Amino acid sequence: MPGILTATLRPYLNAVRATLQAALCLENFSSQVVERHNKPEVEVRSSKELLLQPVIISRNDKEKVLIEGSINSVRVSIAVKQADEIEKILCHKFMRFMMMRAENFFILRRKPVENWDLLFSHHQLPHGADVQAQAGGLRHPLHGGDRQGDQRDEVVCQRQGPYRRRGVPQKCKSSCMSFFSPRSFKFYLTSMFLTSAVLRKFPNIPYADHDRHHGF
Amino acid sequence: MAKNTLSSRFRKLDIDEFDENKFVDDHDEAVDNQGPDGAEIDNLIRQGDMMTAFHIALRNPPVITKNPAIKERALAIVLRVLTSFKSSDIEPAVKSLDRSGVDLLMKYIYRGFEKPSDNSSAILLQWHEKAFAVGGLGSIVRVLTARKTV
Repeated sequence: MPGILTATLRPYLNAVRATLQAALCLENFSSQVVERHNKPEVEVRSSKELLLQPVIISRNDKEKVLIEGSINSVRVSIAVKQADEIEKILCHKFMRFMMMRAENFFILRRKPVENWDLLFSHHQLPHGADVQAQAGGLRHPLHGGDRQGDQRDEVVCQRQGPYRRRGVPQKCKSSCMSFFSPRSFKFYLTSMFLTSAVLRKFPNIPYADHDRHHGF
Repeated sequence: MAKNTLSSRFRKLDIDEFDENKFVDDHDEAVDNQGPDGAEIDNLIRQGDMMTAFHIALRNPPVITKNPAIKERALAIVLRVLTSFKSSDIEPAVKSLDRSGVDLLMKYIYRGFEKPSDNSSAILLQWHEKAFAVGGLGSIVRVLTARKTV
């Protein structure tokens, strides 16, 4: 039995890696609906022409990865194997741990999609998006005290928005990619083995930080 | 005030519908391929002629039709063929396909992943590996961007 289990792990990871490589082909794309806004199209889903086909890669019926792409953003949802109660509890605790620290991850979404356990979201922002510097040295966490309505401020607001979808500044791009390098990705997938059902069982646990929903 | 300002009928109009740049998906309900023939495939599988079954299964994909029943039927047939292949036979089968055949195979593989059953995912992962080796990232991108899904 262990032989069969591990035999599918490597092809599974390779398949996920290849699909991610294809789906993570993003470019900056401002919103077509609201001027001076830059929204992650995979979250907004306003226009069919901007969305890619969602694709699932499954290892068995308990473990799969859903990849939804669009022109400027990608959502990766991971369903983790949760074999028994202890794994479910561990999964829940681990997910809570990660998602409450979603800000530091930059690309982790606070709330997973229905029936999935963990969700990563990456949004491609304009080139050179060191937004803090662009917006001229912010004092207020969202926008400078008296500056309103500029795209650069919107971009900052997007970064702190309720879904925690975040652009990765140019200099952090490499850290984002290494996030999906084989070793760390495998770590996440194997650590997911410990983390399973609670999100499945209690899908409505609010992970979002409610008191920070201002400005978006 | 002028009389024309009293009417609020204009509020029921969705101006975005009339935008000439609005994207409309092609809706070709024209006569489409009906998918491979189940009985023929069954015969070939029973005879053990996997290659022919494979090629026939990949003919006539129901890409244009919006009828889910036809697509499900075609998918079931193709998956049956794919899962009855032996691991060693997968590579020559993939090599025998042309470019569009490999793309179509990738589409079916990803559709097959959506409903994992028994051992189907393990076989599909092997198919994916071999098809990726032949088709490269381009075949995956063509699956993601396809308007006409199988």
